[in-house]
Amino acid sequence: MTSTRMDAVPRSWLDVAAILAVVVALGFAFLSPPDSSQGEVARLFYVHLPVILGAYLAFLVNFVASALYLGSRNLRWDHWAVSGAEVGVVLTGLTLGIGMLWAKPTWGVFWTWSARLTLTAIMFFVYLGYLTLRRATNDQRSRAFRSAIFGMLAIIQIPLVHFSVSIWRDIHQQPTVLRPDGAQMDDVLRNALLAGIIAYGLVTAALLRRRYHLARIQSLVDLELEQGGGDLAGEAISPPTLPGDQSEVSS
Amino acid sequence: MTAPLWPQIKAVTGRDLSRERRSGEVAWVTIPFGAIALLLIPLAVGADIPLLRRIGPGLFWAVVMLFGILIAVRRTAAETGAQRDLVALLGIDPAAGFAGKAVASAVLLVGFELIVGVVAVLLYDIDLTRWPWLLVIVPGVAIGLALLGTLTSSIAANLDSGAALIPFLVAPLSVPLLLGATQALDPLRPSNGILPWVMLLLAVDLVLAIAGVLTARPLQETR
Repeated sequence: MTSTRMDAVPRSWLDVAAILAVVVALGFAFLSPPDSSQGEVARLFYVHLPVILGAYLAFLVNFVASALYLGSRNLRWDHWAVSGAEVGVVLTGLTLGIGMLWAKPTWGVFWTWSARLTLTAIMFFVYLGYLTLRRATNDQRSRAFRSAIFGMLAIIQIPLVHFSVSIWRDIHQQPTVLRPDGAQMDDVLRNALLAGIIAYGLVTAALLRRRYHLARIQSLVDLELEQGGGDLAGEAISPPTLPGDQSEVSS
Repeated sequence: MTAPLWPQIKAVTGRDLSRERRSGEVAWVTIPFGAIALLLIPLAVGADIPLLRRIGPGLFWAVVMLFGILIAVRRTAAETGAQRDLVALLGIDPAAGFAGKAVASAVLLVGFELIVGVVAVLLYDIDLTRWPWLLVIVPGVAIGLALLGTLTSSIAANLDSGAALIPFLVAPLSVPLLLGATQALDPLRPSNGILPWVMLLLAVDLVLAIAGVLTARPLQETR
Protein backbone atom coordinates (compact mmCIF):
# COMPACT_ATOMS: atom_id res chain seq x y z
CA MET A 1 0.00 0.00 0.00
CA THR A 2 2.60 2.50 1.14
CA SER A 3 5.07 1.80 -1.64
CA THR A 4 2.37 2.41 -4.26
CA ARG A 5 1.63 5.76 -2.69
CA MET A 6 5.29 6.67 -2.40
CA ASP A 7 5.58 6.03 -6.13
CA ALA A 8 2.77 8.54 -6.56
CA VAL A 9 5.27 11.37 -5.97
CA PRO A 10 5.86 12.13 -9.63
CA ARG A 11 9.25 13.02 -11.02
CA SER A 12 9.12 16.20 -13.01
CA TRP A 13 11.19 18.44 -15.21
CA LEU A 14 11.79 20.56 -12.09
CA ASP A 15 13.95 17.88 -10.46
CA VAL A 16 16.02 17.44 -13.64
CA ALA A 17 16.31 21.21 -14.14
CA ALA A 18 17.44 21.67 -10.52
CA ILE A 19 20.19 19.05 -10.82
CA LEU A 20 21.43 20.46 -14.15
CA ALA A 21 21.34 24.01 -12.80
CA VAL A 22 23.40 23.03 -9.74
CA VAL A 23 26.03 21.42 -12.00
CA VAL A 24 26.19 24.59 -14.11
CA ALA A 25 26.32 26.81 -10.98
CA LEU A 26 29.17 24.77 -9.50
CA GLY A 27 30.98 25.12 -12.83
CA PHE A 28 30.61 28.90 -12.68
CA ALA A 29 31.73 28.91 -9.03
CA PHE A 30 34.90 26.93 -9.71
CA LEU A 31 35.77 28.75 -12.93
CA SER A 32 35.42 32.23 -11.47
CA PRO A 33 38.70 33.81 -10.28
CA PRO A 34 39.60 33.55 -6.58
CA ASP A 35 38.95 36.60 -4.41
CA SER A 36 41.95 38.92 -4.04
CA SER A 37 41.75 39.00 -0.25
CA GLN A 38 39.85 35.85 0.75
CA GLY A 39 41.29 33.49 -1.87
CA GLU A 40 39.57 30.19 -2.72
CA VAL A 41 37.32 30.18 0.33
CA ALA A 42 35.28 33.01 -1.22
CA ARG A 43 33.73 30.43 -3.58
CA LEU A 44 31.53 29.32 -0.66
CA PHE A 45 29.73 32.63 -1.11
CA TYR A 46 28.23 31.32 -4.40
CA VAL A 47 26.39 28.67 -2.38
CA HIS A 48 25.93 30.52 0.91
CA LEU A 49 23.87 33.45 -0.40
CA PRO A 50 21.67 31.44 -2.83
CA VAL A 51 20.87 28.89 -0.11
CA ILE A 52 19.68 31.53 2.38
CA LEU A 53 17.59 33.14 -0.37
CA GLY A 54 16.07 29.70 -0.89
CA ALA A 55 15.34 29.54 2.85
CA TYR A 56 13.62 32.95 2.70
CA LEU A 57 11.53 31.70 -0.21
CA ALA A 58 10.56 28.56 1.70
CA PHE A 59 9.58 30.56 4.79
CA LEU A 60 7.57 32.90 2.59
CA VAL A 61 5.72 29.85 1.24
CA ASN A 62 5.07 28.85 4.85
CA PHE A 63 3.67 32.30 5.64
CA VAL A 64 1.42 32.55 2.58
CA ALA A 65 0.19 28.96 2.95
CA SER A 66 -0.52 29.54 6.67
CA ALA A 67 -2.60 32.61 5.80
CA LEU A 68 -4.44 30.73 3.08
CA TYR A 69 -5.13 27.83 5.46
CA LEU A 70 -6.59 30.19 8.06
CA GLY A 71 -8.79 31.70 5.35
CA SER A 72 -9.96 28.47 3.74
CA ARG A 73 -9.31 25.62 6.26
CA ASN A 74 -8.21 23.57 3.25
CA LEU A 75 -5.54 21.04 4.35
CA ARG A 76 -3.77 21.47 1.02
CA TRP A 77 -2.42 24.79 2.31
CA ASP A 78 -1.25 23.15 5.51
CA HIS A 79 0.76 20.70 3.41
CA TRP A 80 2.41 23.62 1.63
CA ALA A 81 3.04 25.33 4.99
CA VAL A 82 4.85 22.36 6.51
CA SER A 83 6.83 21.94 3.29
CA GLY A 84 7.96 25.57 3.50
CA ALA A 85 8.98 25.31 7.14
CA GLU A 86 10.85 22.04 6.77
CA VAL A 87 12.73 22.99 3.61
CA GLY A 88 13.48 26.42 5.13
CA VAL A 89 14.92 24.88 8.30
CA VAL A 90 17.17 22.55 6.29
CA LEU A 91 18.40 25.40 4.08
CA THR A 92 18.94 27.73 7.05
CA GLY A 93 20.96 25.02 8.81
CA LEU A 94 22.99 24.59 5.64
CA THR A 95 23.56 28.35 5.42
CA LEU A 96 24.79 28.49 9.01
CA GLY A 97 27.09 25.52 8.42
CA ILE A 98 28.57 26.98 5.22
CA GLY A 99 28.91 30.37 6.91
CA MET A 100 30.88 28.82 9.76
CA LEU A 101 33.18 27.02 7.32
CA TRP A 102 33.79 30.34 5.60
CA ALA A 103 34.23 32.28 8.86
CA LYS A 104 37.03 30.15 10.33
CA PRO A 105 39.68 30.96 7.68
CA THR A 106 38.34 34.51 7.14
CA TRP A 107 37.58 35.80 10.63
CA GLY A 108 39.63 33.23 12.60
CA VAL A 109 36.58 31.86 14.45
CA PHE A 110 33.66 29.62 13.52
CA TRP A 111 31.18 31.92 15.21
CA THR A 112 31.12 35.63 15.90
CA TRP A 113 28.38 37.67 17.51
CA SER A 114 27.33 39.39 14.33
CA ALA A 115 23.70 40.51 14.42
CA ARG A 116 22.92 38.71 11.19
CA LEU A 117 24.48 35.44 12.33
CA THR A 118 22.71 35.51 15.66
CA LEU A 119 19.35 36.45 14.17
CA THR A 120 19.70 33.75 11.49
CA ALA A 121 20.33 31.18 14.22
CA ILE A 122 17.27 32.47 16.07
CA MET A 123 15.21 32.22 12.87
CA PHE A 124 16.37 28.60 12.62
CA PHE A 125 15.09 27.92 16.15
CA VAL A 126 11.78 29.71 15.55
CA TYR A 127 10.96 27.40 12.66
CA LEU A 128 12.36 24.39 14.51
CA GLY A 129 9.79 25.33 17.17
CA TYR A 130 7.14 25.38 14.45
CA LEU A 131 8.06 21.82 13.47
CA THR A 132 8.14 20.71 17.12
CA LEU A 133 4.68 22.20 17.62
CA ARG A 134 3.40 20.11 14.72
CA ARG A 135 4.78 16.95 16.31
CA ALA A 136 2.86 17.61 19.54
CA THR A 137 -0.52 16.47 18.19
CA ASN A 138 -1.78 13.87 15.73
CA ASP A 139 -5.07 15.61 15.00
CA GLN A 140 -4.66 17.02 11.50
CA ARG A 141 -7.09 19.94 11.79
CA SER A 142 -5.87 20.99 15.23
CA ARG A 143 -2.24 20.75 14.12
CA ALA A 144 -2.90 22.73 10.96
CA PHE A 145 -4.72 25.55 12.74
CA ARG A 146 -2.26 25.91 15.63
CA SER A 147 0.78 25.84 13.38
CA ALA A 148 -0.78 28.27 10.88
CA ILE A 149 -1.07 30.93 13.60
CA PHE A 150 2.50 30.27 14.72
CA GLY A 151 3.68 30.41 11.10
CA MET A 152 2.09 33.83 10.67
CA LEU A 153 3.94 35.14 13.76
CA ALA A 154 7.25 33.59 12.76
CA ILE A 155 7.61 35.55 9.52
CA ILE A 156 8.73 38.66 11.42
CA GLN A 157 12.19 37.05 11.67
CA ILE A 158 12.92 37.42 7.95
CA PRO A 159 12.97 41.25 7.74
CA LEU A 160 14.92 41.31 11.02
CA VAL A 161 17.58 38.99 9.57
CA HIS A 162 17.73 40.69 6.20
CA PHE A 163 17.97 44.28 7.43
CA SER A 164 20.17 43.50 10.45
CA VAL A 165 23.40 44.34 8.60
CA SER A 166 22.03 47.74 7.64
CA ILE A 167 20.73 48.48 11.15
CA TRP A 168 23.80 47.41 13.17
CA ARG A 169 26.61 47.73 10.59
CA ASP A 170 28.49 44.80 12.08
CA ILE A 171 31.31 42.58 10.87
CA HIS A 172 29.02 40.70 8.46
CA GLN A 173 29.18 41.79 4.84
CA GLN A 174 26.82 44.59 3.86
CA PRO A 175 24.23 43.82 1.14
CA THR A 176 25.97 43.55 -2.24
CA VAL A 177 23.15 42.14 -4.37
CA LEU A 178 19.77 43.03 -2.86
CA ARG A 179 20.38 46.76 -2.40
CA PRO A 180 18.36 49.75 -3.58
CA ASP A 181 21.12 51.10 -5.86
CA GLY A 182 21.67 47.76 -7.62
CA ALA A 183 24.21 44.95 -7.21
CA GLN A 184 27.81 46.10 -6.74
CA MET A 185 29.95 43.25 -8.09
CA ASP A 186 32.30 42.41 -10.90
CA ASP A 187 30.47 40.90 -13.92
CA VAL A 188 32.18 37.49 -13.67
CA LEU A 189 31.40 37.16 -9.97
CA ARG A 190 27.86 38.41 -10.50
CA ASN A 191 27.24 35.79 -13.20
CA ALA A 192 28.49 33.02 -10.91
CA LEU A 193 26.24 34.29 -8.15
CA LEU A 194 23.28 34.61 -10.49
CA ALA A 195 23.79 30.99 -11.65
CA GLY A 196 23.84 29.96 -7.98
CA ILE A 197 20.66 31.87 -7.20
CA ILE A 198 18.83 30.28 -10.14
CA ALA A 199 20.15 26.80 -9.32
CA TYR A 200 19.35 26.84 -5.60
CA GLY A 201 16.04 28.55 -6.32
CA LEU A 202 15.15 25.55 -8.50
CA VAL A 203 16.44 23.17 -5.81
CA THR A 204 14.20 24.92 -3.27
CA ALA A 205 11.21 24.68 -5.59
CA ALA A 206 11.89 20.99 -6.28
CA LEU A 207 12.27 20.22 -2.57
CA LEU A 208 9.10 22.13 -1.75
CA ARG A 209 7.16 20.22 -4.39
CA ARG A 210 8.39 16.81 -3.27
CA ARG A 211 7.79 17.61 0.41
CA TYR A 212 4.29 18.80 -0.46
CA HIS A 213 3.52 15.48 -2.12
CA LEU A 214 4.95 13.65 0.89
CA ALA A 215 2.75 15.71 3.24
CA ARG A 216 -0.28 14.91 1.09
CA ILE A 217 0.48 11.18 1.21
CA GLN A 218 1.05 11.35 4.98
CA SER A 219 -2.28 13.12 5.36
CA LEU A 220 -4.08 10.37 3.40
CA VAL A 221 -2.44 7.67 5.51
CA ASP A 222 -3.37 9.52 8.73
CA LEU A 223 -6.93 9.92 7.51
CA GLU A 224 -7.18 6.23 6.70
CA LEU A 225 -5.85 5.30 10.13
CA GLU A 226 -8.29 7.73 11.80
CA GLN A 227 -11.17 6.04 9.97
CA GLY A 228 -9.92 2.62 11.03
CA GLY A 229 -9.18 1.53 7.49
CA GLY A 230 -5.56 0.55 8.02
CA ASP A 231 -4.01 -2.51 9.64
CA LEU A 232 -3.25 -2.04 13.31
CA ALA A 233 0.30 -2.60 14.48
CA GLY A 234 0.67 -6.17 15.72
CA GLU A 235 -2.38 -7.45 13.88
CA ALA A 236 -0.25 -9.71 11.71
CA ILE A 237 1.26 -11.42 14.78
CA SER A 238 -0.56 -14.48 16.07
CA PRO A 239 -0.10 -15.83 19.60
CA PRO A 240 2.24 -18.83 19.92
CA THR A 241 0.56 -22.23 20.22
CA LEU A 242 2.00 -25.53 21.43
CA PRO A 243 1.66 -28.64 19.22
CA GLY A 244 -1.69 -30.26 19.95
CA ASP A 245 -2.99 -27.21 21.82
CA GLN A 246 -6.64 -26.71 20.80
CA SER A 247 -7.38 -23.74 23.09
CA GLU A 248 -8.37 -20.42 21.52
CA VAL A 249 -7.04 -17.17 22.83
CA SER A 250 -9.92 -14.79 23.07
CA SER A 251 -9.25 -11.35 21.72
CA MET B 1 -27.38 39.28 23.56
CA THR B 2 -23.73 39.09 24.50
CA ALA B 3 -22.39 40.43 27.79
CA PRO B 4 -20.09 43.46 27.62
CA LEU B 5 -16.42 42.52 27.34
CA TRP B 6 -14.91 44.77 29.98
CA PRO B 7 -16.50 43.07 33.06
CA GLN B 8 -15.44 39.71 31.64
CA ILE B 9 -11.86 40.91 31.18
CA LYS B 10 -11.88 42.26 34.72
CA ALA B 11 -13.20 38.98 36.08
CA VAL B 12 -10.54 36.89 34.31
CA THR B 13 -7.76 39.31 35.35
CA GLY B 14 -9.04 39.25 38.94
CA ARG B 15 -9.13 35.45 38.94
CA ASP B 16 -5.50 35.20 37.74
CA LEU B 17 -4.25 37.84 40.17
CA SER B 18 -6.14 36.16 43.05
CA ARG B 19 -4.49 32.89 42.13
CA GLU B 20 -1.11 34.63 42.26
CA ARG B 21 -1.99 36.23 45.62
CA ARG B 22 -2.78 32.82 47.07
CA SER B 23 0.15 30.92 45.58
CA GLY B 24 2.78 33.69 45.56
CA GLU B 25 4.49 31.92 42.67
CA VAL B 26 5.82 35.08 41.03
CA ALA B 27 6.60 36.96 44.24
CA TRP B 28 8.32 34.14 46.10
CA VAL B 29 9.79 32.03 43.31
CA THR B 30 10.29 33.83 40.00
CA ILE B 31 11.47 37.21 41.32
CA PRO B 32 14.07 35.72 43.70
CA PHE B 33 15.11 33.34 40.90
CA GLY B 34 15.71 36.34 38.60
CA ALA B 35 17.68 38.15 41.30
CA ILE B 36 19.85 35.05 41.81
CA ALA B 37 20.59 34.99 38.09
CA LEU B 38 21.82 38.59 38.29
CA LEU B 39 24.08 37.57 41.20
CA LEU B 40 25.46 34.50 39.44
CA ILE B 41 26.50 36.21 36.22
CA PRO B 42 29.31 38.34 37.78
CA LEU B 43 30.63 35.18 39.43
CA ALA B 44 30.86 33.61 35.98
CA VAL B 45 32.32 36.57 34.04
CA GLY B 46 34.49 38.02 36.83
CA ALA B 47 34.19 41.11 39.04
CA ASP B 48 35.18 43.59 36.34
CA ILE B 49 33.10 46.60 37.41
CA PRO B 50 33.38 48.68 34.18
CA LEU B 51 32.50 45.57 32.13
CA LEU B 52 29.53 44.73 34.36
CA ARG B 53 28.34 48.35 34.24
CA ARG B 54 28.45 48.19 30.43
CA ILE B 55 26.69 44.83 30.05
CA GLY B 56 24.30 45.33 32.99
CA PRO B 57 21.31 46.69 31.01
CA GLY B 58 21.56 43.89 28.45
CA LEU B 59 21.78 41.26 31.20
CA PHE B 60 18.76 42.78 32.92
CA TRP B 61 16.65 42.54 29.76
CA ALA B 62 17.87 39.01 29.04
CA VAL B 63 16.81 38.00 32.57
CA VAL B 64 13.46 39.74 32.05
CA MET B 65 12.88 37.81 28.81
CA LEU B 66 13.93 34.39 30.08
CA PHE B 67 12.33 34.57 33.51
CA GLY B 68 9.41 36.64 32.25
CA ILE B 69 8.47 33.70 30.04
CA LEU B 70 7.95 31.68 33.22
CA ILE B 71 5.46 34.31 34.36
CA ALA B 72 3.75 34.66 31.00
CA VAL B 73 3.16 30.92 30.60
CA ARG B 74 2.80 29.93 34.29
CA ARG B 75 -0.94 29.37 33.89
CA THR B 76 -0.45 26.54 31.38
CA ALA B 77 0.89 24.20 34.04
CA ALA B 78 -1.86 25.16 36.49
CA GLU B 79 -4.90 25.21 34.20
CA THR B 80 -6.49 21.90 33.28
CA GLY B 81 -8.70 21.09 30.30
CA ALA B 82 -11.71 20.83 32.63
CA GLN B 83 -11.10 24.37 33.90
CA ARG B 84 -10.93 25.69 30.35
CA ASP B 85 -14.16 23.89 29.49
CA LEU B 86 -15.85 25.37 32.55
CA VAL B 87 -14.80 28.90 31.55
CA ALA B 88 -16.15 28.28 28.05
CA LEU B 89 -19.45 26.94 29.42
CA LEU B 90 -19.81 30.01 31.65
CA GLY B 91 -20.03 32.02 28.45
CA ILE B 92 -16.82 33.99 28.84
CA ASP B 93 -15.98 35.45 25.45
CA PRO B 94 -12.68 33.85 24.30
CA ALA B 95 -11.32 37.27 23.31
CA ALA B 96 -12.12 38.58 26.80
CA GLY B 97 -10.48 35.50 28.29
CA PHE B 98 -7.36 36.15 26.23
CA ALA B 99 -7.27 39.83 27.15
CA GLY B 100 -7.89 39.13 30.85
CA LYS B 101 -5.08 36.59 31.06
CA ALA B 102 -2.72 38.91 29.17
CA VAL B 103 -3.55 41.88 31.45
CA ALA B 104 -2.90 39.77 34.57
CA SER B 105 0.42 38.54 33.16
CA ALA B 106 1.39 42.10 32.16
CA VAL B 107 0.70 43.39 35.69
CA LEU B 108 2.86 40.63 37.19
CA LEU B 109 5.59 41.23 34.61
CA VAL B 110 5.71 44.96 35.37
CA GLY B 111 6.16 44.05 39.05
CA PHE B 112 8.90 41.60 38.14
CA GLU B 113 10.70 44.18 35.96
CA LEU B 114 10.54 46.86 38.66
CA ILE B 115 11.88 44.68 41.49
CA VAL B 116 14.54 42.90 39.45
CA GLY B 117 15.36 46.28 37.83
CA VAL B 118 16.15 47.81 41.22
CA VAL B 119 18.37 44.80 42.00
CA ALA B 120 20.14 45.24 38.64
CA VAL B 121 20.71 48.97 39.20
CA LEU B 122 22.15 48.31 42.67
CA LEU B 123 24.37 45.41 41.61
CA TYR B 124 25.58 46.68 38.24
CA ASP B 125 25.56 50.44 38.78
CA ILE B 126 23.46 50.92 35.62
CA ASP B 127 23.37 54.36 33.99
CA LEU B 128 19.82 55.76 34.32
CA THR B 129 20.19 59.07 32.47
CA ARG B 130 17.45 58.03 30.05
CA TRP B 131 15.04 56.89 32.75
CA PRO B 132 11.95 58.71 31.31
CA TRP B 133 11.96 56.25 28.38
CA LEU B 134 11.58 53.43 30.91
CA LEU B 135 8.03 54.68 31.55
CA VAL B 136 7.16 53.44 28.05
CA ILE B 137 9.62 50.59 27.62
CA VAL B 138 8.95 48.71 30.88
CA PRO B 139 5.18 48.37 30.30
CA GLY B 140 5.80 47.91 26.55
CA VAL B 141 8.00 44.86 27.16
CA ALA B 142 5.65 43.53 29.85
CA ILE B 143 2.60 43.81 27.59
CA GLY B 144 4.44 42.25 24.62
CA LEU B 145 5.74 39.32 26.63
CA ALA B 146 2.36 38.81 28.29
CA LEU B 147 0.57 38.81 24.92
CA LEU B 148 3.14 36.49 23.36
CA GLY B 149 3.03 34.09 26.30
CA THR B 150 -0.78 34.06 26.41
CA LEU B 151 -1.10 33.57 22.65
CA THR B 152 1.50 30.80 22.54
CA SER B 153 -0.07 29.11 25.57
CA SER B 154 -3.39 29.10 23.70
CA ILE B 155 -1.73 27.64 20.60
CA ALA B 156 -0.11 24.84 22.62
CA ALA B 157 -3.00 24.28 25.07
CA ASN B 158 -3.98 20.66 25.74
CA LEU B 159 -0.95 19.31 23.90
CA ASP B 160 0.97 16.51 25.58
CA SER B 161 4.28 18.38 25.65
CA GLY B 162 2.71 21.84 26.00
CA ALA B 163 4.40 22.88 29.26
CA ALA B 164 7.86 22.06 27.91
CA LEU B 165 7.13 23.30 24.40
CA ILE B 166 5.82 26.79 25.17
CA PRO B 167 9.07 28.39 26.48
CA PHE B 168 10.84 27.03 23.39
CA LEU B 169 8.22 28.69 21.17
CA VAL B 170 8.15 31.99 23.07
CA ALA B 171 11.88 32.61 23.63
CA PRO B 172 12.99 33.09 20.00
CA LEU B 173 9.81 34.99 19.10
CA SER B 174 10.50 37.49 21.89
CA VAL B 175 13.61 38.75 20.07
CA PRO B 176 11.92 41.90 18.63
CA LEU B 177 10.90 42.86 22.18
CA LEU B 178 14.43 42.31 23.49
CA LEU B 179 15.90 44.32 20.63
CA GLY B 180 13.39 47.14 21.09
CA ALA B 181 14.21 47.44 24.79
CA THR B 182 17.99 47.08 24.64
CA GLN B 183 18.54 49.22 21.55
CA ALA B 184 16.30 52.06 22.78
CA LEU B 185 18.23 52.29 26.05
CA ASP B 186 21.71 51.91 24.54
CA PRO B 187 23.65 54.81 26.11
CA LEU B 188 25.71 55.23 22.93
CA ARG B 189 22.63 55.81 20.79
CA PRO B 190 21.80 59.45 19.94
CA SER B 191 18.54 60.72 21.45
CA ASN B 192 16.81 60.93 18.09
CA GLY B 193 17.54 57.23 17.45
CA ILE B 194 15.46 55.98 20.37
CA LEU B 195 11.98 56.54 19.01
CA PRO B 196 12.17 53.97 16.13
CA TRP B 197 13.04 51.21 18.62
CA VAL B 198 10.20 52.22 20.93
CA MET B 199 7.89 52.22 17.91
CA LEU B 200 9.09 48.69 17.03
CA LEU B 201 8.23 47.57 20.55
CA LEU B 202 4.76 49.11 20.41
CA ALA B 203 4.12 47.80 16.89
CA VAL B 204 4.95 44.25 18.02
CA ASP B 205 2.57 44.70 20.98
CA LEU B 206 -0.18 45.84 18.63
CA VAL B 207 0.31 42.94 16.19
CA LEU B 208 0.27 40.41 19.04
CA ALA B 209 -2.87 41.95 20.56
CA ILE B 210 -4.71 41.80 17.23
CA ALA B 211 -3.52 38.24 16.55
CA GLY B 212 -4.55 37.12 20.05
CA VAL B 213 -8.03 38.62 19.92
CA LEU B 214 -8.74 37.40 16.38
CA THR B 215 -7.61 33.82 17.04
CA ALA B 216 -9.03 33.41 20.55
CA ARG B 217 -12.36 31.88 19.52
CA PRO B 218 -11.10 29.49 16.82
CA LEU B 219 -8.29 28.36 19.15
CA GLN B 220 -10.82 27.60 21.89
CA GLU B 221 -12.87 25.57 19.42
CA THR B 222 -9.76 23.76 18.17
CA ARG B 223 -8.94 22.26 21.60
